[in-house]
Amino acid sequence: MRILIVSNLYPPVVIGGYELACARVTEGLRRRGHDVRVLTTWSHLPVAGDGPPLAARRLDLPWLLPERPADPGAQQWLDHAAMCSCLPNTMALLDELRATRPDVVYAWNLAGIGGAALVDLLNLSGAPWVWHLMDRAPADIASGVPGGIGGLFGQRLGALRGGRVLAMSHHLIEEIEAATGDRIPGPVEIVPGWADAEDALPHLPYRRGGVARFVTAGSVHAHKGIGLILEASARLAAEGLRFVVDIYGAGAVSEFIGLAQAMQLQDRVRFHGPRSQQALFALYRGYDAFLFPTHEREPFGFAPVEAAACGTPPIMTATCGAAERLVGGVHCLKIPRTTDALADAMRQVATGAVDLARLGRAGQRLVAQDLSFRRCLDRIEAVLQDAAAGPGTPRIDDPSLAALVFLKHNLSLRLRFA
Amino acid sequence: MTDPLRIAHLTPTYFSDASVIGGGERYVDNLVRALATAGGFVQEVVSLGSAAATRGMDQATLRVLANDAPEAGAMAGVAASLRDAVHDYDLVHVHQSLTTFGAYCTALARSAGVPAIGTDLGGGADELMLRRGGIELLDGVISISAFAHRLLGGAFTGPSDVLIGPVDTDAFTPDPTVERDPRLVLCVGRILPHKGVDRIIAALPPSLRLVVIGRVYDADYHALLRDRAQGRDVHFVHDADDAALLDHYRRASVLVQASTARDVYGRMIEKPELMGLTTLEAMACGLPAIVSDAGSLPELVPDPRFGRVFSTTDDLAALLGDLAAGRWPAPGAAGLARHHVVAHHGMAAIGRRLAAFYRAVHAAPRWGRPCAS
Repeated sequence: MRILIVSNLYPPVVIGGYELACARVTEGLRRRGHDVRVLTTWSHLPVAGDGPPLAARRLDLPWLLPERPADPGAQQWLDHAAMCSCLPNTMALLDELRATRPDVVYAWNLAGIGGAALVDLLNLSGAPWVWHLMDRAPADIASGVPGGIGGLFGQRLGALRGGRVLAMSHHLIEEIEAATGDRIPGPVEIVPGWADAEDALPHLPYRRGGVARFVTAGSVHAHKGIGLILEASARLAAEGLRFVVDIYGAGAVSEFIGLAQAMQLQDRVRFHGPRSQQALFALYRGYDAFLFPTHEREPFGFAPVEAAACGTPPIMTATCGAAERLVGGVHCLKIPRTTDALADAMRQVATGAVDLARLGRAGQRLVAQDLSFRRCLDRIEAVLQDAAAGPGTPRIDDPSLAALVFLKHNLSLRLRFA
Repeated sequence: MTDPLRIAHLTPTYFSDASVIGGGERYVDNLVRALATAGGFVQEVVSLGSAAATRGMDQATLRVLANDAPEAGAMAGVAASLRDAVHDYDLVHVHQSLTTFGAYCTALARSAGVPAIGTDLGGGADELMLRRGGIELLDGVISISAFAHRLLGGAFTGPSDVLIGPVDTDAFTPDPTVERDPRLVLCVGRILPHKGVDRIIAALPPSLRLVVIGRVYDADYHALLRDRAQGRDVHFVHDADDAALLDHYRRASVLVQASTARDVYGRMIEKPELMGLTTLEAMACGLPAIVSDAGSLPELVPDPRFGRVFSTTDDLAALLGDLAAGRWPAPGAAGLARHHVVAHHGMAAIGRRLAAFYRAVHAAPRWGRPCAS
């Protein structure tokens, strides 16, 4: 298949798992012989020069700017371009559709690049398309398309009628539908987060030397539960339990380092900065549990699955997306998102009250059988092939499309700002 | 037997006390009635209001969609619900096409692959439509005069037609029992500077009497007219109903329509007369007409036996002098005027041409039919 992937970010520019997963799937599809091209935004980081150029970095990113204008009007203008319509990006997609003539367009995160207009163009073009949802992007985009502008690009989730939807979890779908007050039209294929269990080395002995080793990885922010981890750690430390917590990732690190020091945890909780996925994979085997007290809106979470693949049981929020796949007491420990619950689970690990080896083996089996990358890619590939084979009336050569895109974009600006 | 074509007349306002009583709104009403005479169509007038509603009207259904931009003015209203509603039709006719409303409807119809025809009724001169290619997204254009079509400036290159009218020639008829007043000159129109009523007063011979029928929209201009009418036989009627208007059409000897592209204050008027409907209605009543050379007016009187055109006040004075002296109009002018309107601008005549244009555009949409989302 000729596959055109559209993503707001692409490595080396990443926020988290969404972009990394996009790159992983891109590579996986290429290895299976598909002709894959990625339409994405520019990178301010050095781009690896190895291999054929597969990414067209033509899109602008009026989102996540480190320096935003102070003027509210200018901010609204950027927000409009980010969520609603960014004419250069829509035109770039039209160009790519015409140049590459894809069998299927495979959309990833469209927030931040004028997603509403991009989805509208995909519908107008008649090209088969699939949207892989790993966060609530459709809800965020819909919230940026108010009132009459919705008539131009589609209101709430109605614009998804023309495509197919893959999602990480039912939890994510429910959140998107609740946020928009709408239903995703058509069936949704659930493709969970994955890990490559076959690459995992044997786990090291648990609680070596009587010390419990906890780890977490990802963005270091409050919604990921870093504050909860510090509070729970303080309780275990007060109880005299022997443990350490290693935190890998970037974010509000200095804020939490300061907090840890204030809580006298500097010897127990260590911040290491970000690591590559490969490096983390090698590290997980040395830990007794992966801490994932993330917010309840977490769409899924790759990191706990990767830890489970290495035999390191996750301690995770019971209602996050990944909890749909991992069974509490079998593959992981599930907790309500409270300090008490997290401290209790960590205490069980630190005191040897949990059979970590049994949980670890079960987690590895689960990942190998159901959550392997190969298996997930099989399902993705099947959906893409099904979409590409579906009835469609490609209109990408319609000479009026560019004029229509132009008119809609300018009308959206007039309706919002005039 | 083929199914009737489902037509939507998309208009930002509709002819009703609940919306707007105006020329553009009445035009849409008349067009609905004209098309109904041709048969083979199911028509809806789709407009905007404070809340969604549906109700019956003569020859069509009125479908009101909730206006999502009520604060923006009548010509800038939009309705997101039109995105789905537009799929209910085989073809849409976008009235007031050179406005934000028109641009919005054009975008939605084109997105849905529903053929769209546009008509400018003088509500705007939208930059996006006229100078940025938006009008080219239409599958066809119907202009209400050749002058109106020229105003597009070549921006539209697809199928087009000029349909002047329709006029309700059943309502506007002569009455042989009513004797015409050979001294009575009639002027019908809103009291606005670009209507050029001052020019008629200036050219009026002492032997003739002028009756000006129209509501006052510009008090200063009204005062100027009253001042200039001093010493002349000029009467103003500002509250005439339909019956009174018809009675004047039947009793007068000539209608003068003196609109101007430069008003008495020296201001230029962008669209002085896209279509002089009152002139056609007067002619349907058997009333010869003298019209200025502004806008579309010369198109309305192609035969000098029942219609004359003037450029200057002196020209008009000469024509009115001919009228006063009995040198014009020629005998039989009343019948010729009515016959001309019935044949070219009547409901059936316009209905036939409109139906043919709709069917041709529907059969071969200019841009094809893209997938609808």
